[in-house]
Amino acid sequence: MGQRIIVDPITRLEGHLKVEVEVENGVVTNAWSTGTMARGVEVLLQDKDPRDAPYITSRICGVCEGVHAIASAYCLDHAFDVEVPEAGRIMRNLYMSAQFMSDHYIHFYVLSALDYLDIMAVADYAGNDAGLLAIRDKIRYLASKNDLSPFTPRYDPDEYCVNDPEIVTTLVSHYIKAVEMKAKSSKMRSIITGVQPHPNSVMVGGCTATPTVDQLRQFKDLWLEQIDFVNNIYIKDVEYVGTGPLLELATMGLGGGTQNYLCYPMFPQDDPASSADRPFGGRNHIYKGGAVIGGASNAVEKVDYSKITESVEYSWCDYPDGVDSLHPSEGITELNARKENAYSFCKAPRYKGQPMEVGPLARGVVNKYPGLMTLMEAGVKPGAVARHYCRAVESKTVGEAGLPWIDRLTELALAGTVVGMKDKAVPKSAEGFGVWDAPRGALGHWIKIKDQRTKNYQFIVPTTWNASPRDEKGVMGPYESSLIGCPVPDANNPINIVRIIRSFDPCLACAVHVIDPESNNIKVHKVV
Amino acid sequence: MDKLFLRPKPTRREFLQIATASLALLGLSQALTPKVVKALEASSGKPSVIWLHGSECTGCSESLINSLEPTAVSLLLDTISLRYHETLMAASGHKAEEALEKAIAEGGYLLVIEGAIPLAEDGLYCTIGGKTFKDIVRGCAKNAAAIIPVGSCATYGGFPAAGPTDSVGYLYRNTKKHHEFDDVTGDKPVINLPCCPMHPERLVAVIVHYLTFGTIPPLDNFERPISMYGELLHDNCERRGQFEAGRFVTDWGDPSQNGYCLYLKGCKGPWSRHDCWKRLWNGRTNYCIAANVPCIGCSEPEFYERFSPLYDRQFDITLPGIGKVDIDKVMATVAAIAAAGIGIDTIITKLKGEES
Repeated sequence: MGQRIIVDPITRLEGHLKVEVEVENGVVTNAWSTGTMARGVEVLLQDKDPRDAPYITSRICGVCEGVHAIASAYCLDHAFDVEVPEAGRIMRNLYMSAQFMSDHYIHFYVLSALDYLDIMAVADYAGNDAGLLAIRDKIRYLASKNDLSPFTPRYDPDEYCVNDPEIVTTLVSHYIKAVEMKAKSSKMRSIITGVQPHPNSVMVGGCTATPTVDQLRQFKDLWLEQIDFVNNIYIKDVEYVGTGPLLELATMGLGGGTQNYLCYPMFPQDDPASSADRPFGGRNHIYKGGAVIGGASNAVEKVDYSKITESVEYSWCDYPDGVDSLHPSEGITELNARKENAYSFCKAPRYKGQPMEVGPLARGVVNKYPGLMTLMEAGVKPGAVARHYCRAVESKTVGEAGLPWIDRLTELALAGTVVGMKDKAVPKSAEGFGVWDAPRGALGHWIKIKDQRTKNYQFIVPTTWNASPRDEKGVMGPYESSLIGCPVPDANNPINIVRIIRSFDPCLACAVHVIDPESNNIKVHKVV
Repeated sequence: MDKLFLRPKPTRREFLQIATASLALLGLSQALTPKVVKALEASSGKPSVIWLHGSECTGCSESLINSLEPTAVSLLLDTISLRYHETLMAASGHKAEEALEKAIAEGGYLLVIEGAIPLAEDGLYCTIGGKTFKDIVRGCAKNAAAIIPVGSCATYGGFPAAGPTDSVGYLYRNTKKHHEFDDVTGDKPVINLPCCPMHPERLVAVIVHYLTFGTIPPLDNFERPISMYGELLHDNCERRGQFEAGRFVTDWGDPSQNGYCLYLKGCKGPWSRHDCWKRLWNGRTNYCIAANVPCIGCSEPEFYERFSPLYDRQFDITLPGIGKVDIDKVMATVAAIAAAGIGIDTIITKLKGEES
């Protein structure tokens, strides 16, 4: 057996994640992904008023915030069979496209970039740009005070880290700009949602906000500023870094993984024609749903939502005897923190029995993003760098898609009060589901209502797909399989492991259902 | 580009802006400004902050970096020395653990806690680096100068308190103190900053107060700063007049009801103490009521379970000079009197008569 390495906590992600790998001859040969927190959200929703669900599920995660409120609202729209007004659909779309843009650039600059930059190179900047010189002086000042938190400590930079002082300093200036742009994006979104993060106005039947013409004018100005940052700074940085310094990592397909891809439709451009469209929020989506199994160039199939299951063989959860896997509409969340041989609070979701990668790369493969196809023809393999690239591409698309929606909402506001809600009483008993493709990937909510109370509530979130532990057949989840073959030349500096994991943009608060494996009987070598 | 980056150290003018804003948020006299500026200038030995994440969603950290004035970057690099923060720090794994151990050993830091603390199964429902969150909190509280639980979860348990993991706030299990950390708390100040998420300005104001006076602002019975959580939303709501007049939103789809009181849609304003109504959110842009959605009471220890259903009328309400009134009776009275074209005084007189 090779050497065991545990990275816990993996930081700069949402929630609590631990990864454990086995390394032989400098290469990862085995991997275990563990979500280490569980709040039992599905359990606490039981027997509550179903209308509470979008509010509470939104609080599953404050980073990819809002996506649960949308999926939950679609799910309840379906169960209540309520016709959401056009303004409700548009406000939900606008909210989500704003969230998509900022979520993606914050992931690149704040959560990922420190893995690819030698930030200390800033101190050697020798150019004349006043802004960059100011950053250099700031970093020098903080270094002189020995106060560089949170930039240090860190893993040591390796040969793939960008260390040109001019490039690094420019990227750091964009990091700072990205944080400011994110605050402005939140300001913009709060016009629709009341408070950010966490939308309070999105609920079953639509969205309660009644934005006025002048609020929408402010909204549009802030929107144009977001598009400008995405199109002129973020995309260019991703292209530069991905095809320049990181080209070698891109062509070796670092962090490739399962080669199975799943995504759900998102951004409906038309209202539902019938109840059957409600789980998707409408029709004619900008991004189509689909599944690709066994390789990125294989055929795209239509998603069959009845073929989604979860198993708990290695999860700290129990199913009744003789049950291997369950469809989420029949799902059970019974936490058992002391289950033998289990190693994660995440369940193991499968589509037609297969582990599936979800997220930007899956959307890129299914929707055949032109840029991604060009890169793949040029030798870039699906993996960590391609994931960053797909994020940048879709930020541009959703940003530009928003402009006609803002104009339409302004037209409605000019005609009178914007009405985005349709009230409907809680049905006595009903079932429903709702799906959305969040920045991190395929997200589904399922509800059963009985006697006007929530009888059962289940969700399968992107990070549960990606961070999934092994299933009952012993098949690894996407994080685990993406780590196989990862180069780890120095066990004390496992930087490629965190590069791969962060390229998925993990969001563990969402994923878990997970705990610490005291029952793990394999002797481990912890890096200290 | 963040303006503070144009110079290696913030200028006196910039300190003045932060100080003036913070004093206003705390309801303190502007005459104190010079003192605050002095404290901020002297703090380039900035206060160390350890920020812990428990059973949480990172929404409070998100809220922190949504801060526009001061910006998040100036907050993180010029106001505090952020020694441990899982979402923002460069380090992972053992490097992250080392940073935490070092900061704890040095002591004297502000301990910010985000997320609830699960106590069931001896804390196994949240572990980091192989330790339970409960034990991590215990280890960090010991050497802290002051403890600031932020957001509904870390203060009173929030929505996780309604789940199966016995999740609690640092001092409270909803409205009751649980005494789990009394031994490590000792007489250290604990300042609760509830709401879902936490409001970044409230945290900045507490830190500035601490830097200036070396003390904490006056607190209420639930350890909330009185200057921020002293007043009921209901007494200050811009829709209060609609309430008095008996005009309630019953159907969000009816544009003629736009701007009416949200009480029948479950508003917890009559029981919720906070200053969202004047502070607003996201750079003074909006807040729940202004987005036409009821206050769900996230500033209160009772949130969430006691306040569910969130979007339905739940409690009887007290009207000024009348006492407890059944709202159905109010509605019937209001309808009858409105039909007769009589004003609010008459309504109250009539209700008083019915109560007695």
